Order: sequence, then structure tokens, then C-alpha cells
Amino acid sequence: MAYRTNLMLCTCTMCVSVGALKIKRKIEEEIKRHNLEDEIQIIPVGSSWLCTRGPTLIVQPDDVVYQFLKEDDIPHLVEEHLLKGRPVKSLMYIHPETLHPIEKLHQIPFYRQQRLITLRNRGMIDPDKIEECIARDGYKALAKVLKSMTPEEVIQEIKDSGLRGRGGAGFPTGRKWEVCRAVKGSPKYVVCNADEGDPGAFMDRSIIEADPHAVLEGMAIGAYAIGASEGYIYIRIEYPLAIKRLERAILEARDYGLLGENILGAGFSFEAHVFKGAGAFVCGEETSLLASIESKPPEPRTRPPYPAQSGLWEKPTNINNVETWANVAAIINQGAKWFSEIGTETSKGTKVFSLAGNINNAGLVEVPMGITLREMVYDIGGGIPNGKKFKAVQIGGPSGGVVPDSLLDLPIDYERLQEAGAIMGSGGMVVVDEDTCMVDFAKYFLIFTNDESCGKCTSCREGSAAMLEILTRITEGKGEEGDIEFLEELGEAVKEASQCGLGQTLSNPVLSALMHFRDEFEAHIKYKKCPAFVCKDLITYSIDPDKCTGCGLCLKQCPADAITGKLKKPHQIDDSNCIKCGVCRDSCKAKAVILKDRFDK
Amino acid sequence: MEEKIRGSVLVVGGGIAGIQAALDLADSGFKVYLAEKGPSIGGVMAQLDKTFPTNDCAMCILAPKLVSTGRHPNIKLITNAEIEELTGKAGNFTVSVKKNPRYVDESKCTGCGLCVENCPVRKAIYPVEKVEVKLGPQDLERMKKIITEYKNKEGALLPALHDINIGYSYLPENILRYISEELDLPLSLVYQIATFYNAFSLKPKGKYTINVCMGTACYVKGGNRIVESFERALGIKVGNTTEDLMFGLETISCFGCCGQAPVVVVNEDLYGHFRATKVPQLIKSYSETPKKAGMEVGNAEVKG
Amino acid sequence: MPKLKVEDLEKISEKVKRTMLLREGTGRAKIIVHMGTCGIAAGARNIMTALLKEIEDKDIKDVILTTSSCAGLCSREPMITVEVQGQPPVKYVDLTPEKVREIFAKHVLLGEIVKEYALAFGSERVA
Repeated sequence: MAYRTNLMLCTCTMCVSVGALKIKRKIEEEIKRHNLEDEIQIIPVGSSWLCTRGPTLIVQPDDVVYQFLKEDDIPHLVEEHLLKGRPVKSLMYIHPETLHPIEKLHQIPFYRQQRLITLRNRGMIDPDKIEECIARDGYKALAKVLKSMTPEEVIQEIKDSGLRGRGGAGFPTGRKWEVCRAVKGSPKYVVCNADEGDPGAFMDRSIIEADPHAVLEGMAIGAYAIGASEGYIYIRIEYPLAIKRLERAILEARDYGLLGENILGAGFSFEAHVFKGAGAFVCGEETSLLASIESKPPEPRTRPPYPAQSGLWEKPTNINNVETWANVAAIINQGAKWFSEIGTETSKGTKVFSLAGNINNAGLVEVPMGITLREMVYDIGGGIPNGKKFKAVQIGGPSGGVVPDSLLDLPIDYERLQEAGAIMGSGGMVVVDEDTCMVDFAKYFLIFTNDESCGKCTSCREGSAAMLEILTRITEGKGEEGDIEFLEELGEAVKEASQCGLGQTLSNPVLSALMHFRDEFEAHIKYKKCPAFVCKDLITYSIDPDKCTGCGLCLKQCPADAITGKLKKPHQIDDSNCIKCGVCRDSCKAKAVILKDRFDK
Repeated sequence: MEEKIRGSVLVVGGGIAGIQAALDLADSGFKVYLAEKGPSIGGVMAQLDKTFPTNDCAMCILAPKLVSTGRHPNIKLITNAEIEELTGKAGNFTVSVKKNPRYVDESKCTGCGLCVENCPVRKAIYPVEKVEVKLGPQDLERMKKIITEYKNKEGALLPALHDINIGYSYLPENILRYISEELDLPLSLVYQIATFYNAFSLKPKGKYTINVCMGTACYVKGGNRIVESFERALGIKVGNTTEDLMFGLETISCFGCCGQAPVVVVNEDLYGHFRATKVPQLIKSYSETPKKAGMEVGNAEVKG
Repeated sequence: MPKLKVEDLEKISEKVKRTMLLREGTGRAKIIVHMGTCGIAAGARNIMTALLKEIEDKDIKDVILTTSSCAGLCSREPMITVEVQGQPPVKYVDLTPEKVREIFAKHVLLGEIVKEYALAFGSERVA
């Protein structure tokens, strides 16, 4: 792992002539005296741009530049800056702020709270060049493991770190490995679950695209720990770039002998294969993922036996998520203690979230566990665009739920999210604003799960269809008294009776919406109103004659010929022809197209 | 010889007709012997999804009858059996039935099916005749590679289907039949896998497949309205292809490009921050310049 | 015989670190185009093409142009990172080919940060 601080000491001819090498020796002495050798490294650099002020020293990542250094300055400088973290102003060339008129990356809100472990190499390396990965300590952990650790020690280290499965359920990774190691049977397999089916989540894609070797290294270490020599990475066909980079990474690693026979001369062999999925959400479930690799109908089966006992080709198999694997090498390099100090009591380390939806800064964030949702939405996410009001954040995709404003101070960890009716899931976070109808949103997820249900369990197959039917009715204004209660009952029944995660969680989006936004459901049913003006059957489009400039843009764009009007005169929308596509509202520059309730009760 | 009706009946064939006859007779007090050639009763109807003309679920009709037949005190099931000889006349027949050995203890078997799956000889209960599928020389050339790569390999079907899909951009029926024969996999399994996954289509696809992302982020940013716009502009519904085979319109559950939502993908070109009003422009760009298709909508300048 | 020994791993690491950190006169500047799927969807390919053309047109030999993955802030893609020797890297966001040409002329060749397009300087915090 990288050093905490890099000292870029200029050793050009000019600086050497004024004593740069003496300075270097002195710094080395001081670093040693304070026992900082593992944290700080000196990098001799050639001709920086301020050699007339030599000897110079640049402290990274603080971006502090020291000039005209003398040997006597060094003890003070090392103690103050490197040990206590207080830059020595008297020795500075100029303040970094004046040197750089723009902000520092890790001070701007989006990056401020981020701590990179799994994404340690994002944006830093060319993922198609294994050498760049090696330069940033890639495969160092594998070398360490093969050279100096027994499989039991590796498992103990992972157990001590407190790492839990990042796929959603949060099962302790070390325990999983231990079980798989203890089971008799050969060969054993390791599998990486990269079938990121959750709509609105893209962590796994980004990790693989950024640093495929982190995943491969993690898998190799895991394979060594449990006694496997073959691994599969099951990845969605929808991620062509990630597949390409992963396939290339495997070839390169094989070329270097970091995969294959007798890795690093330690007598351990490991081979990894990419297996492409074909677009089925249920394949994210571990037993159906394994069935899919075997080219069997990918339907989940009952557990036990767990994959650790009887998995791929009925052999002991250890499945972990992409993010879990990517954490492994960092834990080995920096130790379980370091990892377990990050995060909360029950959830250790960092978690990668994909932040998207109606939010200013959409993107991929890796934050320590325990950060609150409010910080995620407002600090990192930068709030809601266009001055709209925040409504909810949807966590965990079709298996998760919505979290309203009142629960935003919830710290993110596995247990606390579950209490709020959501789940950690794989880490998809979609922020919705006031323009989203929660009934319609719940319906969206049911359309998805109903479509993706494999059909094995009646409760899931028919239950999702029945719930969808009711929700559709409600959005059409045909909701009846008692629908809400029936939805709740049905939701609980589907949860109880389904075999795999898909069925057991598919009612979560509906139940959590009912828990937090019951009034919206009631508005649809009792008053036939959609408060967010989304449900087409409950709204009308009209033009405000005071605002309309008569430009005719809407008239031209309207696909249903529902708009009439003369140029420069206020236009009109004929409600009987209007298909509520919203094109007029999008194209109107005067914001004259307004939405109203269809039924005024 | 007495001319008295003895009160027992032999029904030959345990399909739905035989089952119903057996049940009716047994209910009216006759002792019924139901003889079936196969190892279990149910026949063709058990393999059907729906029944003509009402489209009722076949299994829903059949399953209760199977149970009643099995449990009926007046019905004696003789499976794995064939009629060898029949003598006598109406009201008084003598039949000799040959019951083939099952090699399985019927009182212990729970019918879990594990032994069938694991039998290395042939994973079909009924022997399947080999059907020869004729392919054109071009198809044959393509398939040769795939067959040699995947023959006798475990778990080969899905990768093989991927390869076919890359070559044809859909899964042609005769090719599926061909690989079923060549890889020695039941056609039903090939179809089950081919129709299970969203990535495969049994219908030819258009030259350009327009995939509208319907991930959560794209949805809250108006993905469904983009779908509707494409439907109107192309005159087809999602899942279909235009008549000239230029455009296919599909939705996909998530491309993982949520930062750019809403997203549209045409073949391999990604368009982020897409808007419904851009639909005509996009279609035009692909239909006009077939060689260098695509437009620069991905850039920041057209975002707003 | 194994293909690679542990010591070899360290040697590769040392060697590549030098070029990656722009030391020992390997180049005047390094430009990283962030090309994850999201970046490409936002138009990173056009940015790459524009930069390649600039380098070719101006016949510049000491600028390293490379790609990397998404830098996290997907909604501000396309992004690039420009690192001029001796200065911390600067991230630019919301780019277009025109903006990139300006950045190339000013920052890469002359060392002046183009403030309007820049997001921030420095690198991310690795835990």
C-alpha cells in the first residue's frame, strides 16, 4: 500500500550543489528516529520547476513546498510537519492556496469524506496495463500471502478485519471462507459475483473497469485460503467494457505468471475464467448464478446445502461479491487492525455507493461505514438540482426501500438500514425529488421484479403480478378502499413464502413506500389525485394563457395534434386528444404548460 | 361360461383420457386397472403449458386428477407395462400384461429426479430419436467452430448461445435444433435457456438495436417517456423491430451509467443525458448515413 | 520455474513508479482521460480524439497521453487529469473538444491552470 506521505526531494545538479544529498541523509535519519519509515518515503526527483530556490522539498499529498533548506531545519520540520501535521510556515516557499487558485481535490465536498480502499486505484492507473497496477502495490498482498502466511492465517486475518459481504446480505467473509475450507471435497472453486442486476447500481462495473487486478488478486488470495485452484467471474453481458478489461487483465496476469501454474514460485496454482451472464436479474442470487454457469436453468434452489458445501458442479464453492474481493488485498497489506478501525461497531471498512437520480453530483463514492444519509445526499451529492425538494432516497434497488427525509440522519450500516425498512443491498442509491410519484415508483420496481421473477415459486411469480395489478389500478385512479391493506398482506405473504432473495425482498419497495408515504397512496385512492403529477390518468395538461407567448413550438412538437392556436396568440390543449407525453412541457420556454388534477374533489 | 359382468375394467394408456375414464369408472364402483407403457401416468398433457380452446393451465387441470388416480381405492396402477395378449369378449376379457422391471424400489422412491439428472448415459426418460438438422454451407461453417469448442464440455450451452448470438445477433430456430443434436442436449433445455435470458431473441433483430435504459436513475429522470417517444417515432412497440429491419426497440434494466441518466444505447454507441426531444434526430442520423452513423449527442453542449 | 519471482514484482513496481509519477524526465506532462463506461457515454472518446490530434498537429513528443477509469464524479464527465511535471495533478470536468484544446494549449504546454474548467487539484485520499 502506498505511503502516507511522499517527500519529493529535488536532486538535480543545482540542488545537489547546494547540499540536497546532505538534506536527504538528514531527513532519513530523522524519519528513522521517529519510526516513520513505513509511513513516509523519500522520492528523489529531477529538476522541479523551482530549482533556483534549492534545496527544495515538496510534501505530498499536502502540496507544501519548502525552499532553501538547511540541515539544521530538518529535525524541526520532520517533527512539526510529518509527525504533528503542522506545516512549517517559515520554511515554505509560498502557501499552496496562492500557488493554486483552485480548490484541493480532497477538500471539495464530493471527495472530502471519501476514503478509498476498493477503489484505491481509480483514475490513477491505466487498467489495461498490469505494470501500473503493480507499481501501486498490486499483487503485493498475494506475494505476502504466498511467501509468509498459511491459509489459516489468511482466514484469521480476514475474520479479524470484520469484513462482511458487500453483495447485500453482509455475511462475515472470513467465516464463509472458513466453512468452505473445512468442507471436504475437491476441487474447490471461488466465484466472483459481478452480476450487478440492480437497476441504479454501478459499483461492480466501476471497480472492475478501474482496477480489474484488485478483484483477481483478491480471488487468488481467497482461493489460496480455502484451497481452490480455479475461479469464475460471473459478469453481466451489459458491461462490455468491464468484460474487455477483465479479460485483458487475466491475460496479462497469466503472462506475468501471477495467474496460472506455480504462482511466484510458491507452488500455488490458480486459474480465473470470465463467464458472461445473459441478462437475468435472478442470476445475482448465488444458487441460480451457479446453475447458470453450469448451463442449467438458472433457478434458485433451497439452501442448505450452501454453496460452501455443494456449489459449482456440486463441489465446495465460495462466492463473494466484486467489492468484497477487491477489499481483500488491502486488508492483507495493511492488516486487519487497520481495517477494523474504519467504520462502525458492526460494519467495518468502507462501502462503495453509486449515487444517482435527482442529485447534483451523481457518481461513485466510497465512504467509511457509519456516514449518515444526510451527508451522502447533501454534502457528497450536493443536494437536489433545479431547486426541487428532496423526497426520498431509494437504497438497495428492487430489494430495498425508500428512506424519507425524517430518517436521513440514519448512519449507514447493515443493521440500522434494515431497521428503517431498507437494506444495504449492493449499494445503489437513487435520490428522488418531489416530481416522483411514490406509487408509480413502487409500481416501477414491481414491473421489474415481476418481469425478472424466474417463476419457480408461485408466491413470487403470482404475488408480484397481483401486487402490480393493484398498483396499476391505483395509478389509473381505480383504487379501492382496502387496497392498501391488501397490498400489505400480500407483500408479507410473498416475503414469507418465496425461496430466494428476489422473492423474499420484492415487496420491500412497496412496503417501505407504504410505511413512509401512505398519504400519497391514499390521495390516489380516495381523492383520485397524484400529488406529484405523474400518473397520467389523474392529471391534465393545460396552457396558462397569461404566460404563453404563442411561439408555436409546442404545437409543432405535439405528436398527437392536441394543441391548437394562432401564432403570437395563447395556445390551447385539447384534453381529449392529449396523450400526456409531456413534450409540450419540455419544449415550452415560457413555462406556460401547467399540470392540474383531473378530478377536483 | 357365465355371462355376468365381473365389475372390473382395464384402461389401457395413462394419458388424460385414460385417467379420466379410470376415475369415472372407479367412482361408479368398478375396480379399474390402469395400464401405462411409460414409467408414470400423465401423458402428453403433462408436457403442455395451456390447453385448447380455453387456454387453461394444463397442469392445473391434470395435477388433481393424477393425485386422485393415485389415491383412489378402486384404481390399481400398472406402470411400465405393456399388453401382451387379450382374449375373450365384451364383459369377460382375459388380459396378460407384461410389467417391465423398474429397477427402483417404488415404495422408497420419492420421485426427486436426482438420479435422472445424474445418469451419465442419457438425460431423457424416453429415448429420443436423433433428428438430422440440415444447415446451409455458411451456417455449417460457423457452427463447426462452436461445436468443436463446446462438444462434451460441461456447462457449454450458455457460452455456445452467446457465440451464436454474436454471429447472428439472434438465435435462429434451426441453429438451436442443430446444437441440441450436436451437443447432445434436449431441445427443451436449449429452448428453456434461450428464452430465459433477456440477452437472447428468437426473432431477427434490426440493423440497429435501440436500447433505452430503464434503470432506476433513468426512470426517475424520464426514461419511460423516452421509450414512448421512440415507440411513436418508429411506430413499433418495445420488443419489436421495424418492418425494414432497420431498428429494433428494446429496454434494458440498467447499463450502469446512472451518472449520465437517462441513457440510450444504439448497438454499441452510448448516449448519455438523453432527452425525448432528441429522438427524431437520433433516428435520422442512423437512417441517413449508414456508414458513419451516430451523432455527437453525448457531449456537454447538448446536455442542457 | 515460476515465470515471476517476488523480487521481480518489486523491480517492476519501482520501474513503473518512475514513469507514472513523471520523474526522471520521462515527460513534460501526463494527461489521463477518464474512460469508464460513463465517461464514454458522456463523450470521452471525442476528448481522446481531440487530444490525439493536438499532440499530432503540434508534433509534441514529451506528453504522455493515457487512459484510466471513471474518477467517481460521473455527472461531471467527461473528465481528464492533467499533471505537469513538478505540479500536483489537476482534474478538469464537463469537457468538450474545444475546452480540451484550450487546456492543452494553456495548461499542458504553458503550465497555467485553466481555472474555469478545473474542478480541483491534488489526488484522492486513499485510506
